[in-house]
Parts: sequence; structure tokens; C-alpha cells
Amino acid sequence: MRKLVVLGASLLALGLGWDASAQSTIKIGVLMPLTGNAASAGNSSKIAVELGAEIVNNAHPELAPLPLAATAGLPGLGGAKIELVIADHQGNPSVGQSQTLRLITQEQVIAITGSYHSSVTLTTSATAERYGIPFVNGESVAANLTERGFKTFFRVTPLASDFAKNYMDFMADLGKAGHPVKTLALVFENTEYGTSVADTVRTYAKERGLNLVSDIAYSANTTDVSSQVLQLKDKKPDAVIFISYTSDAILYVKTMKALDYLPPVMIADNAGFSDHSFITSSASLAQGLMNRSAWSIGKPGSVTYKVNEMFKAKTGRDLDDPSGRAMQGFLVLAEALNRAGSTKPDAILKALSETNLGPDQVMMGYKGVKFDAKGQNTLAATYLIQMSGNKYVAVWPEKSAEKPIEWPYKGWK
Amino acid sequence: MRWVWIALGAVFLAYPWVLAGPFYERMGALVLLAAISGSAWNLLGGYAGQASVGHAIFYGAGAYLPLLVFTQWGLPPIAGLPAGIAVSVLIALVIGIPTFRLLGHYFTMATVAVAELVRLVVSNWDLLGAAVGLSGPAVSRGWWDLSFRSSIPYYYIFLAVLAVVLLVTWQMERSRMGFYLRAIKAGDRAARSLGVPVRRYKLYALMLSAAFTSVAGSLYALMVGFVDPDSGLGILISIEMLIIAALGGAGTLFGPLLGAVILIPLQNATNSWFGGSGSGATYVIYGGIIMLIARYQPGGLMNAWHALQERRHRRAAAVEPRHAA
Repeated sequence: MRKLVVLGASLLALGLGWDASAQSTIKIGVLMPLTGNAASAGNSSKIAVELGAEIVNNAHPELAPLPLAATAGLPGLGGAKIELVIADHQGNPSVGQSQTLRLITQEQVIAITGSYHSSVTLTTSATAERYGIPFVNGESVAANLTERGFKTFFRVTPLASDFAKNYMDFMADLGKAGHPVKTLALVFENTEYGTSVADTVRTYAKERGLNLVSDIAYSANTTDVSSQVLQLKDKKPDAVIFISYTSDAILYVKTMKALDYLPPVMIADNAGFSDHSFITSSASLAQGLMNRSAWSIGKPGSVTYKVNEMFKAKTGRDLDDPSGRAMQGFLVLAEALNRAGSTKPDAILKALSETNLGPDQVMMGYKGVKFDAKGQNTLAATYLIQMSGNKYVAVWPEKSAEKPIEWPYKGWK
Repeated sequence: MRWVWIALGAVFLAYPWVLAGPFYERMGALVLLAAISGSAWNLLGGYAGQASVGHAIFYGAGAYLPLLVFTQWGLPPIAGLPAGIAVSVLIALVIGIPTFRLLGHYFTMATVAVAELVRLVVSNWDLLGAAVGLSGPAVSRGWWDLSFRSSIPYYYIFLAVLAVVLLVTWQMERSRMGFYLRAIKAGDRAARSLGVPVRRYKLYALMLSAAFTSVAGSLYALMVGFVDPDSGLGILISIEMLIIAALGGAGTLFGPLLGAVILIPLQNATNSWFGGSGSGATYVIYGGIIMLIARYQPGGLMNAWHALQERRHRRAAAVEPRHAA
């Protein structure tokens, strides 16, 4: 009998001890597509978010301007460390919902970040809303995500409308520099991504009085784009904006060389033109190509450069834009958590809605982070980068430029 | 037979109280949903032996219509369920009349092609949300939206529907239609030479199967509240129905249910245990188990059960005479 009591007491003590130690870690759920059609992007984002947690949990004074980098853990919660619970949603909205339920009810996470695909974020954030769990998204760009009147959903990434606005501002700046852009052509792949971005660009172009001379939709699976390029050659627009995936992006720059066509300004909307395989195979054919990216490695010694070195040490390659945005989403959540000083959803939500970060406190090229009533970051912005040699360098806006803009587009010449 | 029904009913009615917790409740609902669509597929693919890999069309029609009536007219999504059935049966007729001229693998290939075609059309159809998809009510407006936070209401709705599907299948199994379909499965030409109206009965089976598959799609849309071309019309949906039926035993009454009871928890468990590592172990283990079953029990687990019972009967029969003596 005595033995039993001792056993019981020690088990109880163990249980209590366990409980006490559990209080110094805070669980955050991370939903990513680790298998399926976006597995490589999902795994890259997962590593970036893990790096984010490492920066928060350990002291990194060298990254000081980033919130929580200099200290170890969350000072606002007694130095508690963040524990990530990572779940794979396989790119499937229903699996995403099941995993969200598991994270909330089984793992007892206090907040969630993810889920890459806009379609999955739609269902996972709805589940989080039903349970009142804060959800911070760093990378899904579908406009309707913040139009649902949710109380628990916050989005840090810039959207298509931000990008379109940036393109227009950039072209206006070119005009001031003596290279006016009056006519514009749009070339876009014909599924959700291409058509939605093209719609937005069209609206803003109209607003700014640009003349849209060519509006070309094509299928990204195509094997021949010579008719599209010939059409551009015929209309001679001052600038062309491409919204493409990888294989078609490569096909376009090759066909443009074959048909000897060079627009004065060529702008690519990230995606295929930012893909590693586009850069390695076609950089020499696309000198002076403009592209967008909210991520720039920056000058040696800068915070972003150091973050990139840390990512490189883990993966052997540079941090990319979508993974960087996912990591930024996590860092914003961690900063709000720390300010909330509590793991109660209401306190975290209040802290999130009061988030006010300046441009130096974010690692991405945003003007900062401040949420509107719908939960969208109003300070989200992007850099424009230009192909120079075998890599992109930041050239716009001027204050974050590593190099001056080269004009006109040189292509293979 | 009756005790099987009663025992199964009792087990499923009690499940949410035995394994409590929202994640398990939802998994239970997903098992039942997979059993419904697997049983619906089984009517054509199992009993009549016409393996379709295009059932996602009916599932998709069932999933899209409830969300369409919601986004277009603000009606409660459930109102789209009968419309989904009607559209599915109509599509079944349109597809069935030409494709049932094809036999065996050619029929299967035709269904794949038609399903992919439909997926591509829907991906570019603005009314159906094109590639973005359709969403249901983000926040429930009332009980009639059938948008519950807990999975338990869904669980019992799905259980009731499954019971109906199984009852209909059971009735069909013992009716003239059941015998016709099995004859068709055994040999198209032989059945015809015996006077079975082959194409007409194949069409009946397809229409019935399409109607129930559509219901499964509608129930999915009610629970998840979102559908896009991949999650409603993707080829993986058709394949999952096929695997679930084949795993449990195609052409048997409880085969698809057994398949779902094994496969869905397996999917959820492997994903929850190994998914977070990002190593892809989920699919390796999941695929490995399916391969093992395919290697050692190609007729499905239900057949193994029947074989076992038969052996027991034979042994009993062999023992009895000695007793008599």
C-alpha cells in the first residue's frame, strides 16, 4: 500500500513538473503543403518558419532591429519559447481543415500560421475562426480571404493590387527619368493566377491613363508562343507585363530571341520568372528584365543578408520570396504574442490588431506592418528587381536599390 | 444478416461517445462520407464490373450545386442537393449512352478523359468560380445552413445517408437487377446472349451510382464549405472511391464501408504522425499498406472474410457427419 502511495505521489509530482515545464513553451501550429503539388515550396516555407522560431527562441543580437531577435524567447511571457507543431495539408482544403482541428483540439496550439495555397487558407482559417484561434497568414494572395469579416484572420503579404500599384509607380518614375511609358501590353497565363493579376493590372492601368494595346491570354502548358510574340512585335508597346509560370516563361524569352523582339521595358510578375530553373536556364537571355520580389538579400552585413546566410546554412540555397513572406508572417505573430503577454486568444487578437511595425522591423521589403479592420496589412509593398548577370538585384524603389535601373531591356544582347 | 445490421448500427451510433474529441469526430464523419461515395461507386464498379475513374464528375456536381445556389441566390446550401442529383443523373445519361459501347479498359479510359475534360471546363467557368472555386457561408446564418462547428451533426447525417445507400444496395443485390449486373460483370456478351438488356441495365446502375455519388459530394460541400476544381473534380477523388471499394471488396455490400474504416483513419494517422516532418513518409506508408493488401488479398478484405467463413462452414460440415455417426 505504501509503495502505491509513493508511486502515486511521484507520478503526481512528475505530472505537476511536466505541467510547469509546459508553461514555458508556447505551441504555434504551422500548416504547409509538405507533400503534393506544392511540396517543394511548402518544405522551403517550413524551414523558413523554423528559422524564424530559432531567431525568436535564441538570442541573436546581430539581428537586433527585428523584434524578439536580440532576446531569447518571449520576454513578455517570462521568456517562454515557441514550439512549432507542423502539419501537412497536402494541398487539399479538406485535409487542411482536419489538420487545423487536430492542431487546435489535440495539440492545443494557441495560434496558427500558414497555409500557402489560397484555397486551403480559405478553409483552415474558417475552422480557426469557429474556434476563435488567431490565424496569421504570410503568403496567400487571393483577395477574398480578407473579405469574409473574420475576427481572427490577419494577412501580412501584399496582394495583386499592391503589385499592380507598384508597377504603375515604377513606370511613372521611368517617365520622370525621360523614358515615358504610354502604351502597355499584358501577357498572362489563363488560369486563376494569371487572370486575376491581369484583371487588377488592367484596372490600375486604366486609372493611370495607360493605353493597353495588347491583352494576350495563353495556356501555360503551351509549346509554342510565336504568334503571341509576333503580336507584340506588331503592336510595339512601350512596356510588356508577363504573368507566367516557369516553362512558359522560359519559352517566351527563347521565342523572343528567335524572333528578334525586344520591348523597351519588360516586367515579369514573379512566379515562373523567379523560379530557380528560369534563372539558371535563361538569365543570359533576359538581361534587364524587371521582376517583383518582397525579398532582397541586401548588402553584406545587413540584417536580411544575415538571415539569408542562416537559411543558406540549412538548405544550401538563398531564401526565396514566398518562403520569406511565410517567415515574416510567423515573426509578426510572435511579436504580437509577446506584446499580448498572454496566451488567451482575445489578448493575442487585440495585440495583433494593434500591431505597428516600421520598415526596419520587418525583414521583407514592406513599409511595415499595420492591419486594417479586415485584417489586411496596409503597409505591404514589394521591391522591383532587375536581372543583371545571372541574378536579380534590387533597383526600385530608389532607397532600397543596390544598383541603378538599366534601361532599355537588353534581353540576350 | 439482421444481426450484422444491428451490430454495425450500434457500433456506429456509439462511436462519437467512445472516441471523443473533435478530431476523432471529424474523422468518423470522413469515414462515413468515404463509405457513402465508395458504396455509390460500388453499384456500378463493383456489382456491374464497370470500373469508372470518372465518378469525380458526379461528386463535383453534388459539391458545386449547393455552393452555387448559396453564392448565386443566398439559398441554404442544402437546397442544391436535389439539383446536384438531377444534374448528375443527366450527366450520367449523356456520358453513359456513348461510353457503354466501350468494353473493359476502354470504358475506364473514356471515363478518365471525360472527367478531366469537365475539370478543365469548370476551371475556366466564371459562374462556378473558375480556378478559385466556390465558398459556402463563412459564418452560419442559422441552423438551415447546416454549418456546424462540431462534426457530430455531420456524423449522424452521414450515418443516416449511408444507411439508406446500403439498404438500397442490399435490396438491389437480391433483386432482378442485382442478378443482371452480376451477369454483366461475369461477361458482357454471355449476359446479352442470355437475354439480359445489358446496356439498359448498365445505364440504370450508372444513374443510381451517380445519384448517390452526387449526394456524397453535396455532404462534403456542406461540411467543408468550399470546393475548387481540384478538391471537387480532381482525378484523385475518383481514384479514392475505387481504392476504398477495391480494398474492402468491390461488389460486396459492406466492402466499401470496411475499406473506408481502414483507409481513412490510416490516411489521417499517417499524416498526423509523419506529415509534419515533411519527409513524405505519409504516402510511403499509406502506399505500402495498399500494396500489401493488393498483393495478398487482391479480391478485397471482404473476400478474405468470406473465404474464412466458408472454410469454417466446410470444417463444420466435415465434422458434423462424424457426430451423427
